[in-house]
Amino acid sequence: MTNSIQEMEDAEVFLVIGSNTTEQHPLIATRMINAVREKNAKLIVADPRETKIAKLATLHISHNIGSDVALLNGLMHIIIKEGWEASEYIKTRTENFEKLKEVVEKYTPERVFEITGVDESLLRSAAEIYAKNKKSMILYAMGITQHVAGTDNVKSCANLAMLTGHVGYPSTGVNPLRGQVNVQGACDMGALPNVYSGYQSVADPKIKEVFEQAWGVDGLSDKAGLTLTDMMDAGERGDIKALYIMGENPVMSDPDSKHAKRALRNLDFLVVQDIFLTETAKLANVVLPASSFAEKMGTYTNTERRVQLSRKAIPIMEGTMPDWKIICEVSSRAGYPMNYNSPADILDEINKVTPSYRGITFDRLKDSWGIPWPCPHESHEGTPFLHKDKFARGLGAFDAREYIPPPEVPDTEFPFYLITGRVGFQFHTGTMTRKVSILEREEPQAVLEMNPGDARRLKLVNGSKVAIESRRGELYLPVRITQDIPESVVFSTFHYSDNNINELTINAVDPVAKIPEFSCAVSIRRV
Amino acid sequence: MKKIKKENVFPFLKEMGKTQDVYCPQWLNDKDFLFLPLGDGKFNGDIGKTAVSAKSLLFPQTEEIISFGKEIITKNTDSRKTLAFGIRPCDMKAIQFTDRFMTREGITDPHYQSKRKGMTTIVVACNEPPSDTCFCIDAGGMPYLNDGYDVQLFDAGDYYIAVSGSKEGEEILGDRNFEQVDGDEKERLEEIKKRSLQSQEKKPGTKKAIEALRDEKTDGKFWERLAGRCINCGGCVYVCPTCTCFNVYDLPSQDGYMRYRSWDACLHAGFTKETSGHNPRPTQGSRLARRHEHKLKFDIINYGESGCVGCGRCSDACPVGLGAIEIIEELNNL
Repeated sequence: MTNSIQEMEDAEVFLVIGSNTTEQHPLIATRMINAVREKNAKLIVADPRETKIAKLATLHISHNIGSDVALLNGLMHIIIKEGWEASEYIKTRTENFEKLKEVVEKYTPERVFEITGVDESLLRSAAEIYAKNKKSMILYAMGITQHVAGTDNVKSCANLAMLTGHVGYPSTGVNPLRGQVNVQGACDMGALPNVYSGYQSVADPKIKEVFEQAWGVDGLSDKAGLTLTDMMDAGERGDIKALYIMGENPVMSDPDSKHAKRALRNLDFLVVQDIFLTETAKLANVVLPASSFAEKMGTYTNTERRVQLSRKAIPIMEGTMPDWKIICEVSSRAGYPMNYNSPADILDEINKVTPSYRGITFDRLKDSWGIPWPCPHESHEGTPFLHKDKFARGLGAFDAREYIPPPEVPDTEFPFYLITGRVGFQFHTGTMTRKVSILEREEPQAVLEMNPGDARRLKLVNGSKVAIESRRGELYLPVRITQDIPESVVFSTFHYSDNNINELTINAVDPVAKIPEFSCAVSIRRV
Repeated sequence: MKKIKKENVFPFLKEMGKTQDVYCPQWLNDKDFLFLPLGDGKFNGDIGKTAVSAKSLLFPQTEEIISFGKEIITKNTDSRKTLAFGIRPCDMKAIQFTDRFMTREGITDPHYQSKRKGMTTIVVACNEPPSDTCFCIDAGGMPYLNDGYDVQLFDAGDYYIAVSGSKEGEEILGDRNFEQVDGDEKERLEEIKKRSLQSQEKKPGTKKAIEALRDEKTDGKFWERLAGRCINCGGCVYVCPTCTCFNVYDLPSQDGYMRYRSWDACLHAGFTKETSGHNPRPTQGSRLARRHEHKLKFDIINYGESGCVGCGRCSDACPVGLGAIEIIEELNNL
């Protein structure tokens, strides 16, 4: 997030796009709920489904799946036409505005309606509310990123925020809500193919030298590695021989899971490190049992970039080790001894080699509620919001994007659009939550959400079983009939290994980030 | 009647700890204020208002109830001797309410009852409300108790005036940390009580809310409007000193299975969902109604008194302003 969570309390406008906030980030959602309730803040929710947060919205925009770029360009078109853009801000703090203007010029309300299904008056109201208020905040989640146009979607959000001068101040900005507890921290630590910790490029010789010195080695690679989706493709082709997977369950969470399974089975050697024997761990040659969060100490970096210390609450389970210790042991046996004694030792090294984490020391975390990076030195308080006075890169660069259609849209053979997501009572592939009886009681099985009109046409009642088929697979699911989903769109979740919806989803990826689309075309018949 | 210097409270608790488990309000990591075993947190003399009431001493968040393998063994019915120090009057009233509930219609909950039997209670009356969400008087209670405790302490500056309410209480006052009082203390006590009754500002209007529910002035729309912002966390239920609903489940153990019970919440859909899939409380609004009608309507019908003691914890815990105070205020606006 460019901003901190607490700043939401003073925001005047929230533009929530591709985020089921009330279910997936409930406490962040409460900030919006209270700002609307107590301070009359305006809430605009763009989501094909009428989620709970959409029901509380001032405006709910139910746009077509995968049409986010057109929607955002359409908003910018109106803003520029009406002269609501922040001219001074654009002049002094950004570049490439002319190119943006040229591109969004083409996104007239008529054309946007054709692509998104959103009519002009709704679009105009949203543009006016967002642009004319000072503290307007964009919040997005996987509904924006998990598309072949994911990078374009994110850039379009950034374009919109810069166009209206909504970055670099408190209670505004562009705020991606991260989908897992420490995914921000994992990225910050360089669990990406092209960077070291703190997003320092592997291709930069100076940075390479810093890490070679810190680790006492020579010849670190200056080439970017493969992304997760690339690795699966390479595994299936036989170009990758071994994988070491930690705390990830791609058999369940990757799109087109048959492809993921083929790739993993095709490896010569698979190591899986997890706290339970996941569907992926079952395919492994070696399983390394790790300790859960409650059995260890360490830090988490949350969605607002805040690094927080988590303490050990229960004794460690017999036969398990914290992840850091397993890695040290494996590395030491492989010939590179790692002699860290504690998570504090590791954080000490992070401080040394990561400029944005330099001041976030163990001693400071011990007595605080955490520190948001960048925090360049030990007397620095951390940074609640980014890009104050100037952007991290200097001038904020507009990067206008054109709408591209999604990779697989409904046709006569597969007439429904399947979108996937999560529910509040289960988490991700269910590795942990499906073992908790009270959560299972709330959401015990995968269901297919469907509009009453579609249900009538297919002669279905609540709970009827349907066969749902895509070009990649078939599943049998009971339907849950709800007004909250538009016609010709169906929704299900990927929590349930006995009915893994990712058998159906599509492995088409964004060309830059390589994040998969998931959403795909399906047919549905009564069984 | 006796008195105890504040500086002697900690030595007294240490002394008591030699023969029993002592629980009292303590600071955990200087951040959370909770009822904890003496020594698990920092005791600095604060009584305040703990985030969770003393209910967890008698009805823990999770407890083993039976183990079964070759034979079935009922767990947690040992009558450990415990001393709970620093219970607020509202929480003590809630324990009295729960005592009755846990032994109703001749059915006794052995896990609760065994712990209750072994527990001695030292209440600390509130001269002033410990937090701005306290509304015990409005809720029909008082910032001190007339009965139902073993010992009750009244804050008189640098010492507490101590009154016993039972034989066990009388024994406690025999401890060497308690001192004799002179004649003035009786007058001082009456003055403290009188002032405490006037010190509470929070008055959401419980009486009128009870009448509104009795007269069925609410409809589905009223509750659905409020429930629209409920995020279904169950926090209001977990912190409530009179909420005692639980869920039962089995987990494998070393030599068989262990049956546990854990706090549950009527705001979760699965709480009332039936095997057929039918749910008599199908919407969040109907579940929110159930929770508040239970406290402010049906408890009065069943037991003659409201199940809300006015501690205000649900209003402290709820992130979207749906605690008892806010609901009572909404009911007053009908």
